[in-house]
Amino acid sequence: MQTKNIRNFSIIAHIDHGKSTIADRLIEYTGTLSKREMEAQVLDTMDLERERGITIKAQTVRLDYIGEDGEMYELNLIDTPGHVDFTYEVSRSLAACEGALLVVDAAQGIEAQTLANVYMALEHDLEIIPVINKIDLPNADPEKVKQEIEDVIGLDTSDAVFASAKAGIGIKEILDKVVEKVPAPSGDENKPLTALIFDSYFDPYKGVIAHIRVMDGCIKKGMMLRMMATGKNFEVTDVGCFKPAPVNMEKLSAGQVGFVAGSLKNVKDVRVGDTVTSMENPAAKALEGYRGVNPMVYCGLYPVDSADYDNLKDALEKLQLNDAALVFEPETSMALGFGYRCGFLGLLHMDVVQERLEREYDLRLITTAPSVIYHVHKTNGEILKIDNPSKLPPATEVEFIEEPYVKATVIVPNDYVGAVMEISQEKRGEFKNMDYLDVNRVMITYHIPLSEIIYDYFDRLKSATRGYASLDYELVDYKQSKLVKLDILLNAEPVDALSIIVHTDRAAVRGRQLAAKLKEIIPQQMFEIPIQAAVGSKIIARENVRAMRKDVLAKCYGGDISRKRKLLEKQKEGKKRMKSVGNVEVPQEAFMAILKID
Amino acid sequence: MKYGVYIHIPFCRKKCFYCDFPSFAGKEKYMEDYAVALCREIAMQGSLLPGKAVTVYIGGGTPTALPLNLLEKIIIQLKESFQLASDNEFTIEVNPGTVTLAILEQLHRLGVNRLSIGVQSFNDDLLQRIGRVHTADAASCAVFMAQQAGFANVSIDLMYGLPGQTLAILEESIMQAFELDVQHISIYGLQVEEDTVFSRQRDMRKLDLPDEDVVEQMYDYIVRVLPEHGYVRYEISNFARSGFASRHNMSYWQDVPYIGLGDAAHSYYKGHRLANLQDIPDYITKLQQGETVSFEEEIITPKIAMEEFCFLALRTTKGIDKAGFAAAFHCTVESVYSGMILLMKSKGLLVDEGGWIYLTPLGMKYGNVVFEAFLL
Repeated sequence: MQTKNIRNFSIIAHIDHGKSTIADRLIEYTGTLSKREMEAQVLDTMDLERERGITIKAQTVRLDYIGEDGEMYELNLIDTPGHVDFTYEVSRSLAACEGALLVVDAAQGIEAQTLANVYMALEHDLEIIPVINKIDLPNADPEKVKQEIEDVIGLDTSDAVFASAKAGIGIKEILDKVVEKVPAPSGDENKPLTALIFDSYFDPYKGVIAHIRVMDGCIKKGMMLRMMATGKNFEVTDVGCFKPAPVNMEKLSAGQVGFVAGSLKNVKDVRVGDTVTSMENPAAKALEGYRGVNPMVYCGLYPVDSADYDNLKDALEKLQLNDAALVFEPETSMALGFGYRCGFLGLLHMDVVQERLEREYDLRLITTAPSVIYHVHKTNGEILKIDNPSKLPPATEVEFIEEPYVKATVIVPNDYVGAVMEISQEKRGEFKNMDYLDVNRVMITYHIPLSEIIYDYFDRLKSATRGYASLDYELVDYKQSKLVKLDILLNAEPVDALSIIVHTDRAAVRGRQLAAKLKEIIPQQMFEIPIQAAVGSKIIARENVRAMRKDVLAKCYGGDISRKRKLLEKQKEGKKRMKSVGNVEVPQEAFMAILKID
Repeated sequence: MKYGVYIHIPFCRKKCFYCDFPSFAGKEKYMEDYAVALCREIAMQGSLLPGKAVTVYIGGGTPTALPLNLLEKIIIQLKESFQLASDNEFTIEVNPGTVTLAILEQLHRLGVNRLSIGVQSFNDDLLQRIGRVHTADAASCAVFMAQQAGFANVSIDLMYGLPGQTLAILEESIMQAFELDVQHISIYGLQVEEDTVFSRQRDMRKLDLPDEDVVEQMYDYIVRVLPEHGYVRYEISNFARSGFASRHNMSYWQDVPYIGLGDAAHSYYKGHRLANLQDIPDYITKLQQGETVSFEEEIITPKIAMEEFCFLALRTTKGIDKAGFAAAFHCTVESVYSGMILLMKSKGLLVDEGGWIYLTPLGMKYGNVVFEAFLL
């Protein structure tokens, strides 16, 4: 394939605007998969992705398309995740492209992540083709949305495509626009090899497989290659492209997108953002890589059954092979024993990892409440980065504490401006800006502590705006806050895994709410269980789980022995999901109770 | 081989509000055919197991809801088809509202030697509140008639934890029971089962159950006062004068095989648990056609057998017979359960001494904690 006939592009959109459905239609239209082979959202390969209707991992597919001019084009589509937690995946994908389809829902218009993604695409200097999707919806107003894109983003929309992926409208137009508008890649096959690794995954048979975009030169089977950052050398065993299953090819040349596999058993050798070059004729300079991703949210993951500790470690290592953003290190808790402190990009990421561990690795886990990273300035001048509330030094040693703030961008119909402001103020937000996108849609910007965002900000926003609010956020700064550690005592014993860091003004309320919620969650046992919330040595709330007065099946005769045994089995199964803390049986969900307070 | 026989009579004048047993009101039209079908099943199963039936228990439902002539037919058929041990225990359940002296005398003549009378309470308001068809006086009267008819082994059922019941009401009922001079008392704590009048009342928040503290006081009172009056506790909910523990019920807890006959009855023998059809017309039709009405409910694997051996035995005050366990499973109980036994002992729920493992008084109260521990 000649470089001039290659087009590399991504699809960017706010979540649920139809990105993955458009990808499906493009795959189907170009005959990359037959109708029979098509499943909805073919690029969402994980069960979790299909169930939740979200894309977590970026995926690549090569589409062969005969353009209006009768020439064969190679279109490399890189599908990207839509959720704010996975923004970094979008950014990585965009670096491998020259163009992007900007998909906007014809009924919803521009949303917070539409903007965030467009700005990212503009930073990468991509050609953007607006696609106004779902035009067949009864409440669609494509002309208005087109105008909005011009007004708000400042994009020329004279080339915008009106489409409905669901109804198959506008698919050919999209392909033709890609051919017409997206620039061909500019690489030179005769220069020394440089290829950007924009993703990787681990295949149990082939080892690490790197997703690459070749900038200059070419890659052939049998070549000896070098990772420029890690210095790892390897021989190419397979090179090819995704259709969307991996297909081996003779070579990948400048401008092309595909994969390379070799003697790469250790995922640490394959760093996303690294440059691959040839050992024989190495490039002088590596490509510009990526900023490393830093986890924003941390929590403890503990096996319910301590015998599963090693299994948890293995599982985390395996997940990390395909999820560079996941970090973990061993930690111990007085209450929970041995486990791991894990860092995530956000709550969804945390949820997804936890669910995959339980589902794919059959582990029963206790997840502690998520925490952000606090900067603790001690009186002796030392600065600690604390991602676990129980590690907070005593108040007497603390000069002050800083917490991360994000810039939160919320887009809502103007009827809900009041509601958004109220919630944002309550969440300790600082108002920054308000812009009208059109006569009745408003973009509001706040600086809000990240800890409040992960707590329940978005849920509250959604319910207060009847689902209309869209949110995007990015880290801006650390700021000093009046924060204290709130401890929980069960049966007069502090439970480290239940400690949280809260703003001083909220401590009393949160303490009461948390104690009340724990009372609901912790089942009655043979003795009374006092639940106390404390700041330092001061008890600020107290609840009691009453003792269970008796617990014995009154009757068990011939006719119901099987049924009664099954009843006991069910109860026993429930107890397996609990952790003994001291002599109290505590259910898993107790450790996440703070997120379940309404 | 020793085994028990259970016969189920699924008819009632009225369904009690707490009852989730297979028993039906308003199906009198099936009684005649049912009795015929049941006799047929009895005849078919009479030689199913070798050896003798040491206990027979006719329960329900309300066996005495059947006309006496049908009940007679059934008992006669049973004695014809099954070999009963000479010292057999032959119990029939009786509802005070459906019994007369003549009926009781006839049952006694037919070889029934034990009566279980469903009293539940001696408080008329409470009896009405739980859907019983009889008064407290009728219950006392039924006991007198039983004694007059010659029954020397009479049991009554009582309940506690009922809606509207106070400790004082329970105390009165128990005192009344003592005056009646019965040999055996079963006292069951109410458990609200699904698909009962009570469960529906609960869902509508119209079930005024006593506070759990009060229920505990009731329990404590029962387990203290019955032994003081000569009724020794031999199982979680069962108390008897010396020599009058129910042999039939003990067989359920001591791994003795039993054959269940009649609608929805369960059998347990040779490693199988079987259940009969529950639909009365189905049951009748199948037997008219000479087909089986008994279907596999569960194969009792060695694991299940061990679990049941232990948790059922633990319901009795004697507990698990370690030698019996070893004989049944060819391994010691410790080789399977040592960790759990230690843990339960450390919680003060279990005693392990003299070849037996049994619940402490605290363990009786929290029996489910121990029963669960013996599930593998």
